[in-house]
Amino acid sequence: MSYSSSLEKAISSIKKQTYLIQRSLNKRDLMSALKYASLMLAELRNPKLPPKQYYEIYTLIFDSLSNLSLYLIDNHPNHHHLADLYELVQYAGNVLPRLYLMITVGASYLQCPNPPRDEILKDMMEMCRAIQNPIRGLFIRYYLSQTTKQILIQKLKDDSDNDSNLEVSMNFNCQYIITNFIEMNKLWVRLQHQGPLRERKQRTKERKELQILVGSQLVALSEIIDDNFTIYKEKVLPVILEQITQCRDVIAQEYLFEILFQVFPDEFHLETLPLLLDAMLHLNPELSHDKLLWSLVERLNVFIVRQNEGLNAVDGMKEDNLFKIFWQFVSKLNEERPDLSLQQTIGLVKSLLNLSLKWYPESVENLDHSYELVLQKYQDLGDDPVPIDSECFLSDLILLKNIDIHEKDRTNTFLKLVSQSDSYRKLLSLQRLPLQQDIINELLDAFTMGFFGTNSEANASKEIINSKVQLEHILSMCEPIIKSRISLLTPKEGNNNITEDEAQDDDEQDETFIILDANQEKLAKFTHVIINSLNNSEILYTVEKQMECLLILKSWYYKGGSNIKYTYPSIITNFWKLIRKSNKLKSRLPKKKSYYDDVIKKLFKHISRCTNDLFNLCGNSYTDAIYKFNLQSASLADQLSLNEISYDFFSQAFTVFEESLSDSKTQFQSLVYMAQTLQKTRSLYKESYYDSLIVRCTLHGSKLLKKQDQCRAVYLCSHLWWATEISILGEEEGVTRNFHRDGKRVLECIQRSLRSADSIMDNVQSCELMIEIFNRCLYYFIHGDESENFLTIKYINGLIELIKTNLKNLRLEGDDEDLMIDTAVQQLSRTNISNSQFVQDIDDTLNPIFMGEDGSYIELSKLKGTPANVSSKISSAKMSNLIRIPIRHYNGTREYVMNQSEIDDRFKVINI
Amino acid sequence: MMKSFFKAPLDIEILLDNEDSRKHVHGNLPLYEDGESINGIVTLRVREGKRVEHLGVKISVIGSIDVVKKADNGTNEILSKKPLDQFLCLSYDLCPTGELQHSQSYSFAFKDLNKRFESYVGRNVEVNYYVKVTVLRKSTDISKIKKFWVYLYKDNVSAITTVSNSLSTQQQQPTAISNGENAGPAEENGQSTNNHNKVADPQAKQIKLDIGIENCLHIEFEYSKAQYSLKDVIVGRIYFLLTRLKIRHMELSLLTREISGMKPNTTIKDTITIRYEIMDGSPVKGETIPIRLFLGGYDLTPNMSCNYFSVKNYLSLVIVDEDGRRYFKQSEVILYRTRE
Repeated sequence: MSYSSSLEKAISSIKKQTYLIQRSLNKRDLMSALKYASLMLAELRNPKLPPKQYYEIYTLIFDSLSNLSLYLIDNHPNHHHLADLYELVQYAGNVLPRLYLMITVGASYLQCPNPPRDEILKDMMEMCRAIQNPIRGLFIRYYLSQTTKQILIQKLKDDSDNDSNLEVSMNFNCQYIITNFIEMNKLWVRLQHQGPLRERKQRTKERKELQILVGSQLVALSEIIDDNFTIYKEKVLPVILEQITQCRDVIAQEYLFEILFQVFPDEFHLETLPLLLDAMLHLNPELSHDKLLWSLVERLNVFIVRQNEGLNAVDGMKEDNLFKIFWQFVSKLNEERPDLSLQQTIGLVKSLLNLSLKWYPESVENLDHSYELVLQKYQDLGDDPVPIDSECFLSDLILLKNIDIHEKDRTNTFLKLVSQSDSYRKLLSLQRLPLQQDIINELLDAFTMGFFGTNSEANASKEIINSKVQLEHILSMCEPIIKSRISLLTPKEGNNNITEDEAQDDDEQDETFIILDANQEKLAKFTHVIINSLNNSEILYTVEKQMECLLILKSWYYKGGSNIKYTYPSIITNFWKLIRKSNKLKSRLPKKKSYYDDVIKKLFKHISRCTNDLFNLCGNSYTDAIYKFNLQSASLADQLSLNEISYDFFSQAFTVFEESLSDSKTQFQSLVYMAQTLQKTRSLYKESYYDSLIVRCTLHGSKLLKKQDQCRAVYLCSHLWWATEISILGEEEGVTRNFHRDGKRVLECIQRSLRSADSIMDNVQSCELMIEIFNRCLYYFIHGDESENFLTIKYINGLIELIKTNLKNLRLEGDDEDLMIDTAVQQLSRTNISNSQFVQDIDDTLNPIFMGEDGSYIELSKLKGTPANVSSKISSAKMSNLIRIPIRHYNGTREYVMNQSEIDDRFKVINI
Repeated sequence: MMKSFFKAPLDIEILLDNEDSRKHVHGNLPLYEDGESINGIVTLRVREGKRVEHLGVKISVIGSIDVVKKADNGTNEILSKKPLDQFLCLSYDLCPTGELQHSQSYSFAFKDLNKRFESYVGRNVEVNYYVKVTVLRKSTDISKIKKFWVYLYKDNVSAITTVSNSLSTQQQQPTAISNGENAGPAEENGQSTNNHNKVADPQAKQIKLDIGIENCLHIEFEYSKAQYSLKDVIVGRIYFLLTRLKIRHMELSLLTREISGMKPNTTIKDTITIRYEIMDGSPVKGETIPIRLFLGGYDLTPNMSCNYFSVKNYLSLVIVDEDGRRYFKQSEVILYRTRE
């Protein structure tokens, strides 16, 4: 009997035979029908069909044989006896068609009343051994199982009235399916080893296509067993596991375990875990145990989740310590298989974590044990560097990536791990530095999110650092970050193994640049978040506790060396916050006044310590900030009327100024800042702290390098003798009488600065400064009595004359270059057009130039989007262009005065 | 041959008793067995108005072994046929010399006729049985033959009784005849019908063989018995102990061997009577393949043996590898006819 040469021909042949069978049956010509059937079945002998095509013709034939089977059943025993037919079909010369016919007749017979059921079933199974070709064998056995499935179920039903019969039946059925399963699996595995070696891949593909046939046997088994656990555990599982382990085939082992997990109930797995895991120990070494374990754990996790949702009590398993069983498995596997890759171990441990987190969410111990396994493996690897591709698995493991866990639980778990699991910390600390930093960064992000809470829901479950030890643990974990340096030269590359020398280099580079360092920024953020979380927590954290936390943070950050310039500000600002909080508490709880006074003093001391550290470790690059911290602290102390402390901070600020602020520009800025701060102080009048401070400030101003800086600093310092109202303190101009004002000193300052302005060689600068001084004078003139401030109208008008003269001289100077200026000034005096328009009108070719508060030139670009050019000297600019600066300024002031004089009579005396 | 040229003056009709109800086999010949009487009626019909003188009418029953030469071209056309041995020839006169004027019938009977051999039509040899009526005349005798077919059954009551006590005896059996040649009992059986009991003995030992090609194939096979009735089922199994061959399939054939002629000029003719595929694909070490072959549906020849020829049956296990090479092992089995 031959088969068709192609799939198409085979299909059409099958259709033709099917038709002929049906026609013969209609004529009750069974012999012909059987003849056609065996012709049709010859198509299944084709050895060239790949599994998919074979399956296609198999299904066609299956349908055709089903029809035949119906006829056989309907006409038994009137037109034939199926027992006879069972023998008759066995005369077929070819074994494959013979067996298909035999099974068709046999299965039909079994559906008729009172057949010799067990004998026929066994016989069919036994005869299937004749097919040793993997694909054909798998299909005939699949056919056997398809046709007998209902019969087996019926058999159970028939015997269900009698317990002992039922048991016998159940045993028979299970053995029956298991036998078929084992034989199918053998054939399936054998397929891998057939054909030439170069077609191995093809074989593997074919096997995957055929796997469902083997898997279907386990499905059938689970349907038969239903909820009969005893037989599963005693009769079924051991045999299946034995087959799986014995076949030593990776594909089969992976697939069958997977199916086993899927088709049988979770309760069964829970009860037979030792069996399952023991079998898994004996699998092919090439198999990835981690995937297998993962799917088992996933399965059990789904189960526990469902159980928890159903609020059903979980049976004994939980007490039996499921985790321990799994842990023992993994550790045993690790022991027995030293060749397991780190990656595999990681996979296995990941399953452990996954299991523990779902089943024992409270247990840190389990997690610790799990990480211990990885740690062990890691250490066993010795000096071999961990391959880069394994690193990401490690990092995922440490960060609990790909494990289904609620975000808040994740943070909570991290917190527990960091503070309670030695293995976890150790493992982390063993990683390559850049990797460690990446991981720590992510952990910090998690903590930050966890403590801070992004929404109301998270708020409810905000995590709290509940012990100093915990904080210490977190910080010790963060050590690599605390100490990390960002490399300026190669910012992309890892900067591990920084030697001291290199660190030194970094320090030097840092003097000139302040670079944003994401790591340090994160630490700073972390500081804020922690203190904030303590503040908002339900449990009341005393100021002292918070201070202790800050001190812990501070001492850890201190290890970062010059990095404290990034981290200390967060600590200092939090100290400030605490000071304010203490002050508030103090006023609320008068009884505890002395306590809080004490606390506040301590806090200031810590701030002072911080600024000292900063000063000592960060060098010159950071003095400006240190100076400002001092001033800010001084201001705060002043607001709390702690004049001693305030004075101390001011004096520290002066020390910084005098010793370290060498840049003239910064010096000027610093003095301005100092003056601003001092001007608002109120508590320093006692013991003439204030006077000594402001005199010193003014003195420094008058000693600045550049004349223009001197001039500006001094006229700004004049305000130090002219206190103004701070409404928040209840002061009011005209009401409050005891403002610290000294008009004589003000005049002295103005005159000192005028002298400086006058002595400047650059006429434009000089003129501009005079106009600025004129503006100051106007301020004092308007805001105080002549008797008080000594700035008389005569003085002012004199100043105006001086300015006018200077402007005229300037104009003459400019005439040489550009006559246009003259007309421009005249134009300006007549009209009200704005400055910018004015500039455009006169000269389109030049960029407009302005002067900043500190005397630097600002050259605006006419091109949109181009940044302005700021510098202290402008070399390229034409004189005529520069002259416009004071002219513009003067015109502005004049305009103001003229406008004001219309509504305020005092302005009328100004002769402008 | 000559008869076709001359019209015979009388017709001879031989009618066997109960012929219509008797079983017919092998080209519609009535079937007899050993020891069965052959009775019947001979009718001589004279043509209208003719008278036939004769020297007597004789009836004989004849069993003979004939040598046949057949064309080797597959048509099986008989080229020549000559008797080798007439092992049975009984005759007696139905009537004395006289004259037949009208049709006349004579009954005849060969009581409890002993038939030594089965009827057989082989490649070189035939065993034929017939009843012959001869009307002796002065001129050419007129004769007519009627062929019949003979089966020798080798089952009887004792065979069934031995089944009941088979357990004890069966265990003794292998040691008892383990030294004997397979062919031994077969020849014995064929020679005499008196040995029925021995032949039908169901305790015939099973065939078990261990064969192989070094480092390539090693199998062990067994057939449940060495002797089978024609209605029997051959059951057995094959164990693969080693397979390095890529086997395409395996089949079981039944080979019928006819040995004829006297030594040293014996002719051996083999005929493959059954070809039965028993395995598809290549098994691995440790596999067991079942064998089950129903014989009842085939037209088989039981073993026979006499001085002039013998018929033997062999089971041949054939393994065909992927390259089409065939490996086989033959083992003799004895087939015998039983009534059921």
